[in-house]
Amino acid sequence: ILDDPDLKDIDPTVLKHCHAAAATCILEAGKQKADISAISTCLEDCKLDKERIEQFCTEYQKNKDALEILLGSIGRSPLHITDVSWRLEYQIKNNQLHKAYQPSYLVTLNVEKSDSGSHPDVSFSCTMEQLQDLVGKLKDAAKSLERATQM
Amino acid sequence: KLNIGVDTIQHGVEGLVYLLTESSKLMISEVDFQDSINVLGFSDELNKSLLQLYLDNRKEIRSILGELAPRLPSYHSLEWRLDVQLASRSLRQQIKPAVTMKLHLNQNEDQTAQVLQTDPATLLHLIQQLEQALGEMKMNHCRRIVRNMK
Repeated sequence: ILDDPDLKDIDPTVLKHCHAAAATCILEAGKQKADISAISTCLEDCKLDKERIEQFCTEYQKNKDALEILLGSIGRSPLHITDVSWRLEYQIKNNQLHKAYQPSYLVTLNVEKSDSGSHPDVSFSCTMEQLQDLVGKLKDAAKSLERATQM
Repeated sequence: KLNIGVDTIQHGVEGLVYLLTESSKLMISEVDFQDSINVLGFSDELNKSLLQLYLDNRKEIRSILGELAPRLPSYHSLEWRLDVQLASRSLRQQIKPAVTMKLHLNQNEDQTAQVLQTDPATLLHLIQQLEQALGEMKMNHCRRIVRNMK
């Protein structure tokens, strides 16, 4: 904003105040999920004229959804799983044991943390039975999700 | 009680251990085992006892040796819970479903638990991917390899 040619005649401190005020107003409105009439009333109380209020509200309406998504994504949560990769391997021998024929799965859960950059992925190995147990439990979770949405 | 020096006993035990672990590791046949120990020049009776010792304990030794191989943490169990976020400091009046899970893993006798979360869409994706993984074992390719490598 400070570099905008249209605004260069205005005192930068005033500009900053305006920007901060506008931002605060928008964020509060977004946080409370305020509707247009509530915003208009609030702006009227601040002695803004009708034309300005209308302009503000129109712009707000246009960006409301994006704003809500942004606000909703702020906050802490446990590590979030974004993807999974797997590998099926068949062990033939190792230096402790020859002829150790054994299939095993190597599963990696790609994980993302909301605030800091990234986080080491969670990897583990499992047998076919263990993987079946894991998938069974995940399916139980999915089923109860489905039931919850039908309530 | 045996009237032999400590060192001799120690060497004896070590020798026995080496003999049994190497034989079990390589999974050698009875004939090969017998041939190998015949070279040592022991009595027939001793050879027979050694062979019996080998055959009796070989399975257990192999399973213990199997534990020594390099490993990643292995799956133990999973707990899950369905959550719905209703509001947060930055946004009120939300309905955000999430599945929170506690993954229990074993690493070298320690159990670790990790709390993870995912959204419904990713959950379904995870299920689909892992079911595909399970399906692979039943495919012809894997079956052929398992059969031919015994």
